[in-house]
Amino acid sequence: MRHTPYRWHKPLTPWVFVLPTVVGLLAFKLLPIVSALYFSFTEWSLLGSPLFIKLANYRELVSSEVFVRIVRNTVQFSFVYVIGSMVFGLALAVLINVQTRGIAFFRAAIYLPVVTSAVAVGIVWNWMLGPTYGVINNLIEAMGMTPPYWLADMKLALNTVATVQVWKMSGYYMIIFLAGLQNINADVLDSARVDGANAIQSFFRITVPMMASTLFFVLTITIIDSFKNFELIYAMTKGGPQNASNTLVYDVYLNAFVYYRIGYASAIAYVLFIIVALMTIFNFYVRKHLVEGLD
Amino acid sequence: MKYKTASRLRLLLIAIVSIIYIFPFFWMVSNSFMSDKNIFAVPPRFIGDLLFTDAMFINYKNVFTQFNFGLYTFNSIWVFSLAAIGQLVVCSLAGFALSMMRFRGKNLIFSLLVITLMIPVQVTIIPEYFLFLKLNWLDTYLPLIVPSFLSGAFGTFLLKEFFSQVPRALFDAAIIDGVNAYQMFFRIYLPQSSSPMATLFIIAFMNNWNDLLRPMLYISSRKLYTVTVALSQFQGQYEVRWNLLLAGSVLSVLPLIIVFAFSQRYIIESTMSSGIKG
Amino acid sequence: MKKLTTFIVILVVVGTLFAAGTKEAKAEGAPITLEWWTWDPTMAEENQQIIANFERENPGVKIANTIVGTAEYWTKIRIQANQNKLPDVFTMSSGYIEEWAKEGLLYNLDSFVERDDTFDLFYQSIFDTNKAISNSDSYYAIPFALVTTVLYYNKDAFDRAGLAYPTDGWGWDDFRSAAKKLTIDKNGDGKIDQWGYWFYGRYAHVEPWIYANGGTLLDRSTMRFSPDKKAMDAMKMLTDLVLVDKVAPAPKDMSAFQQQDVFPQGVAAMWVDGSWFVDTFRKNVQHDMRWGIVRVPSGPSGSNTLTYGWPDSYALAPNTKHPEMAWKFARYVAGEGIGLDTYMAGKIPSAKKLATDPLFSDPNQQPGKDMDLLIEQAAGPMTTSYSMGWGEWRGYGGSEALGLNGTIDAIVNGLMSFDEAFRRSTESINAVLKRYYK
Repeated sequence: MRHTPYRWHKPLTPWVFVLPTVVGLLAFKLLPIVSALYFSFTEWSLLGSPLFIKLANYRELVSSEVFVRIVRNTVQFSFVYVIGSMVFGLALAVLINVQTRGIAFFRAAIYLPVVTSAVAVGIVWNWMLGPTYGVINNLIEAMGMTPPYWLADMKLALNTVATVQVWKMSGYYMIIFLAGLQNINADVLDSARVDGANAIQSFFRITVPMMASTLFFVLTITIIDSFKNFELIYAMTKGGPQNASNTLVYDVYLNAFVYYRIGYASAIAYVLFIIVALMTIFNFYVRKHLVEGLD
Repeated sequence: MKYKTASRLRLLLIAIVSIIYIFPFFWMVSNSFMSDKNIFAVPPRFIGDLLFTDAMFINYKNVFTQFNFGLYTFNSIWVFSLAAIGQLVVCSLAGFALSMMRFRGKNLIFSLLVITLMIPVQVTIIPEYFLFLKLNWLDTYLPLIVPSFLSGAFGTFLLKEFFSQVPRALFDAAIIDGVNAYQMFFRIYLPQSSSPMATLFIIAFMNNWNDLLRPMLYISSRKLYTVTVALSQFQGQYEVRWNLLLAGSVLSVLPLIIVFAFSQRYIIESTMSSGIKG
Repeated sequence: MKKLTTFIVILVVVGTLFAAGTKEAKAEGAPITLEWWTWDPTMAEENQQIIANFERENPGVKIANTIVGTAEYWTKIRIQANQNKLPDVFTMSSGYIEEWAKEGLLYNLDSFVERDDTFDLFYQSIFDTNKAISNSDSYYAIPFALVTTVLYYNKDAFDRAGLAYPTDGWGWDDFRSAAKKLTIDKNGDGKIDQWGYWFYGRYAHVEPWIYANGGTLLDRSTMRFSPDKKAMDAMKMLTDLVLVDKVAPAPKDMSAFQQQDVFPQGVAAMWVDGSWFVDTFRKNVQHDMRWGIVRVPSGPSGSNTLTYGWPDSYALAPNTKHPEMAWKFARYVAGEGIGLDTYMAGKIPSAKKLATDPLFSDPNQQPGKDMDLLIEQAAGPMTTSYSMGWGEWRGYGGSEALGLNGTIDAIVNGLMSFDEAFRRSTESINAVLKRYYK
């Protein structure tokens, strides 16, 4: 029932409606993005006033071993998160795409972590993953194996946090995939079955291609969401051990509000902004040239 | 016959998966009923030893009285209700204009809103912080409420989509009656939209409730804490044990779970439709 | 129409909130009002009592006390500094004195200190520690208390093991051999149930050992991180407790505990940390467990008469309109006008009359006469490693997982070798210091 709007109103009326939105976008998005760029060229500890130091912050970033590592961590986190969320989200959706009594309960159960605060999620997983008293390590020991240090091991900490984040959010992507699945015409699948295709064949030959636009949509939002890991890192590792789980968003917080290095933190924020902007442009590009062709 | 067994296997799988998702919640609750001694039992006990004893709620009582979680819950509820109302106001207005009206700059606003969804809050948080500093708003609830009255990307998209699906006949009839734009919005469209508005209210409320960074930075007086900030500070405090910490977690999660239980159909439906549109 | 009304109501509510946000602007009748900021919310009542007394003795003066929790205090007070609105009198920590003094945010107290025979009432040694920390030749803060670091020991555990209690004369060997005997697997399951000792990379866990061995972390002439051999020996001794002697747990195994719970829970029989934990233990441990305090054992190349201790202080705003009255009030709250009951146990008052109060070593409360040790420490030589950027390079508070703290944790958690860890951290710590000391 969509229709192209025509002008049935006075020319200025729409601006009354969008006025708060425009003010909000200016005050809380555009203005901050521009002034963050200015801050990134300064040195400022909150005491006194900002000192203009040109590109020194960026030079320091580039030459900092820690920063390189944090960028790598950020990419690794995104990678684990995107793959994990896509795979689990889709698997859960396929699994739960049945009509039976009580299915709504299971769907809600899997969705529950989505509406739970990352702080509470971090606390309970910290407790379950802890050495000596943690239920998971006790289970692993009971099976005769030696459990790892999930959060104290430099190789594991980041992946552990990313996995918990996948656990927390996969219900959300499951629902989106579920909507995509339910949009597939059941007749197509039925006729495929009649033609002798087994479940796996029809999944890869029919379901996946027909879900291309959903898959791409989830890919896009998982990439965006993969940067939103501040809360869980704050609750679980605070970036440790030895920066092993420190990411760009956490490092912005650390430098700005723990070390009071406003300028340097702004430079990190800008690097983050540029990465996100590149991702977004890439997304638009792929969407325009690939996905729309598939539909 | 073959179809039926497969389905049973699937149900079993679904049950196992659900346990993986439910277990941490079970663990949170059961451990919040542990005494100081039992919380460090090896191997871990599955059922809280305080359950059904006289001291059953002692951890909760502690968290409530000594650590003020009652106050923090109250703070969160009213502050974030107000913020959610702000979202209803601003998003319905903008959503209506974007879906029903024609004006220059519409596409620009639309694109800016899309970009807003993409950018992590950490990119803009530092200048935002100084904005509130200059406005002298720090340590008040204004930074948590006012921005909600000024733009919300998710809600705008949700309502824009809804408004554009309201039957055309209604619109045409109203035009014939000679209503102006404000009457069109308030009398014709708004009354239709109680369900997406309720959904938006709940989603905005939940997102704000769970937010950590903003309230952590903007609120410094303890008596103004939100539940999530209180919980995160509780984590690093002297004299805190896991049983208390988990009781605090339960208290911070409980209101949302209750809301979710009553509204899960709306929330899940809105998530579904966001995917189809995507 | 109903919707419209709701809408208007909402707008009014928001408008009121805006108005509430701008608050302030109350004009008091009194000629002088002093703003006083502190960081301990538990002291609200005591502060009101102090204020009532002071106002009675000084008619025409009003004191407005704002208490901000410790965790939020530094961000908030920094903002006050940024806005040129520092309170007349405010709590100042050793970790920031140098930076703030250099930025001109602390009132130079020299003329007051000289004029008023301050050292008849206060210990000069504590004032001088502050001066040393500020890296200047002036007094920028008036200390109200000193905190030191001590070795806490579990008397019950020593009794059970049949060991004599530690003494101030202990050296590293005495300590290590006791720690070995106190490391016990009670139920024979192959897991240690009571460790001899416990520490991680925390400043109050490590520095006391370094100074008691005569070591230094910073080269004060160049202001670079350059731990000398004595410091490295102390840190090696500590890390070997975990890695070689196996008498202390790796921090990764203790992550289920709040760090300060390990000792009172009986999981470790000895512990080194700040003297203010006397207060925490008195409140939480009570008489379940008997414990005592003693000096941190001397190292082979130093002596434990050198204490790691630092003052908590009050500072005056540089632009205070009433410097005389602010100074008077600061001296008053720093000890002249208050009683020992307003002090956190384990913090040593800088005012002589409070420190010599017999109640300081209350025999009815743990650790009884052991508390005299704190007074002795306060009167003796002290040292610290505070500098600008200390919180960042040391790994303190929000960055506890990083910095030198993280380095030492990495060693005892088996992530890096001792030499590799220090090679790396020396570089990154000096990168921090270079920013402050060009």
